[in-house]
Amino acid sequence: MNVSRREVLVGGATVAVACVAGPAFAEDYPSRPIELVVPWGPGGGADQLARKIAQLGEPEIGKPMPVVNIPGGTGATGMAKLLSNPADGQTAAIYIADAHALLAGKSPRWTMEDIAPVAVLIQAPSFIFVAQDSPHKTWDDFAKAAKEQPGALKVATLGFGSVDDFTLSFLASKGVKVNQVPFSKPSERYVSILGGHADALYEQAGDVGSFLAGKQMRPLLVFGSERFAAFPDVPCSKEAGFDIALPQFRAIVVRGGTPPERVKKLSDALEKVAATDGYKAFLKEQFAKEDSFIGSAGAGAFVAKQLDDMKAAIKQAS
Amino acid sequence: MTDILVQLGNGFLACLHPTTMLMLVVGIIVGLLVGVLPGLTLVMGVVLFLPFTYKMQVTDAIVLLSAMYVSGTYGGAFTSILFRIPGEPIHVPLLWDGYAMARKGKPAQALGWTLIAAFVGGLLSAVAMVLLTKPVASFALRFSSPEYFAILVFGLTSVIALGSGSLANALISLALGLLIASVGTDAIYGAERFTFGMPIFADGIEFLVVMVGAYGVGEVLTRLERGFSSKPLAAVATTKTKLPSLGEIGAVKSMLLRSTVIGHIVGLIPGAGATVAAFVSYGVEKQFGRKRAEMGSGVVEGIVAPQSAATASVGGALIPLLALGIPGSGATAVILGAFMLHGIQPGPQIMATSSAMVYTIFASIFIGIAVMCLMGYFAIRPLVKILDFPESIVSAFVMLFCFVGALAIRSNVTDLWLMIGFGALGYLFERYGFPIAPLVLGVILGPLAEESFMNSMISFSNDWTVFFTRPISGTVMALAILTLSLPIIGLIRNRRKPGASLAAAPAAAAEPNKAAPATAAPRAVRP
Repeated sequence: MNVSRREVLVGGATVAVACVAGPAFAEDYPSRPIELVVPWGPGGGADQLARKIAQLGEPEIGKPMPVVNIPGGTGATGMAKLLSNPADGQTAAIYIADAHALLAGKSPRWTMEDIAPVAVLIQAPSFIFVAQDSPHKTWDDFAKAAKEQPGALKVATLGFGSVDDFTLSFLASKGVKVNQVPFSKPSERYVSILGGHADALYEQAGDVGSFLAGKQMRPLLVFGSERFAAFPDVPCSKEAGFDIALPQFRAIVVRGGTPPERVKKLSDALEKVAATDGYKAFLKEQFAKEDSFIGSAGAGAFVAKQLDDMKAAIKQAS
Repeated sequence: MTDILVQLGNGFLACLHPTTMLMLVVGIIVGLLVGVLPGLTLVMGVVLFLPFTYKMQVTDAIVLLSAMYVSGTYGGAFTSILFRIPGEPIHVPLLWDGYAMARKGKPAQALGWTLIAAFVGGLLSAVAMVLLTKPVASFALRFSSPEYFAILVFGLTSVIALGSGSLANALISLALGLLIASVGTDAIYGAERFTFGMPIFADGIEFLVVMVGAYGVGEVLTRLERGFSSKPLAAVATTKTKLPSLGEIGAVKSMLLRSTVIGHIVGLIPGAGATVAAFVSYGVEKQFGRKRAEMGSGVVEGIVAPQSAATASVGGALIPLLALGIPGSGATAVILGAFMLHGIQPGPQIMATSSAMVYTIFASIFIGIAVMCLMGYFAIRPLVKILDFPESIVSAFVMLFCFVGALAIRSNVTDLWLMIGFGALGYLFERYGFPIAPLVLGVILGPLAEESFMNSMISFSNDWTVFFTRPISGTVMALAILTLSLPIIGLIRNRRKPGASLAAAPAAAAEPNKAAPATAAPRAVRP
């Protein structure tokens, strides 16, 4: 952090010019470090992603991206921080499916117009997992048991109003009715199936990677229209007759109204980051799709479609 | 067994990493300072240091905080014995025999005994911790929401029953804590409660804000009222520790072991920490010990029992923290917070997924105790010097740390106002004889208890009898009911016998000869 006086002066002048000349000077962007808001606590999936991007992105973007954790309100507190800053692209936030799900609920604290998606960085499908010694050998066993005794099987989830909830409610509307037990703490969620207190778990594979490696859990079903490469024997939900795919996605957004050329510039830099070996290895660790990255051209449409899918699932379920 | 030794060996090696070792030594020194400074309690010290660990590696952060925890149970022994000032509530029992022994012209011997007590108690308890955490962890898989709820209820009841002072005041304090905890968005259904439409309340009130405010700001306000009038204490800076001989230690070995076991078990119980361990252990000696008649007149037993139990409680408290993710005391609650800030949820899985880290923490406890005792031996003089600083200057630093700590939680200025509010509350509590610990425990454990209650209801189709019919939760629930009813029975008994009143801690400190057994005796029968 050795900043010479000259650099400070130049930087100050740049800001002054940018203020006077307005967003036309896209080439001056970013004029200073981009603050990267993580609306979740340190250590979680969103935080890990932010720190990875900040580390790999600095050479591409030309400025550091200090990560600021502002947890609370399923991402709402951090989003409020983003929206309180000017729409100049100097503040960005990690935006994930769990926060996005709030928009499908009642009185959300922000709207689609408030955000400008820069890029989708990770897409990871969700799975139904059971303990290794579970009596349910396949998804068919599980679905049959759920149909025979509706609501008897317990499935551990993140909570009501979450993507997990939407998906399970959708399954219920198709006849596979389970009792959803919410555990906001990941460890309790995992203990619940390892200790036999719940029958199954709704989760992304990256979060339970250690249990999968340790042969303590196994997947029964992946949600999506195709099977997941790492688990070729596990059927996808489309095969099982459920046309639903609400993947966990993690994107980077800036405030709505940010000049498009700035959004594009940031997106282009991130695209180079996504092409690095370091990032590809990270995706693999997270059990994410290899072609997760979507630049600014398609990110907005992707995020909008996710919301439509969530709303459709809720509608179908109710 | 060999597996454990190998892992522990690796843990020791990991501890020798320069930054980890540095954190360990820093933690020990800060813990000793915190222990020495009256008013700056152990819990507060750990809270104040938490923000500095945000950027650290998780292992270093935990090593730092647990080292503070270990040495914080020891530092206050000096001030208790030398000046009759308990740096910590933990050391109130040391006022009775330790100070009396010092008055008999043997302060060095008294300090030597506390050193041995902390060393032996701490180490034996650490051994038990290493051996027991794994069985407790696999056993812990049998715990589900009803069991968690029962344990949390037990934690909430024991803090009332074991605390000193009036039961009614403790209950009021706890209820207020639970009320504060209910502010915000409920974790299961997302209903907003007591938010008054303000976004800051929608996220709930951070327990750290309550804790830093009530303990830190409240204490400074209390001292401000007295005009920072505690006198500087000179002429003690030349005191040196004098260790007892092996023969002398051998003569009290069974008592030392008994106190360690008591300390370890009390540490295991959620809600009871080093303070309770010290009181219970002193009470047992006073009630059943060989020297029970002489307790309070400056005997070795009266020093060794509370000190060894206090340090031994650390090893006990870390078991439920690591194996169940449940904090057994205020300090472990903060350490749990540090884990979660780093994205690690302690619990049964931690032994499987992060066993290297767990064993590094274990090893750091052993090394920490050894380092602490070495420092205790050599560093008495500089430590005691702190007491020469004017109280007003120490208080200014306490306030600075409080503000930094509260703001660092989520960079929200409103938290500072809340903290000041809770500071005023803490001051009023102190002033009118309400204990602060139940308030803070209510804020911490309340949301956990609520969520596990709701989970149980969802899991078992609203059948509340599960809490009593499942073997583990039923047993714990029965213990909780017993804990709650014992002080009431004690109260009724005391009413019948005039004169033997349930004295509060300050009164006990003033009357070394009688108050201690009255407070501690009813607890002694319960493990």
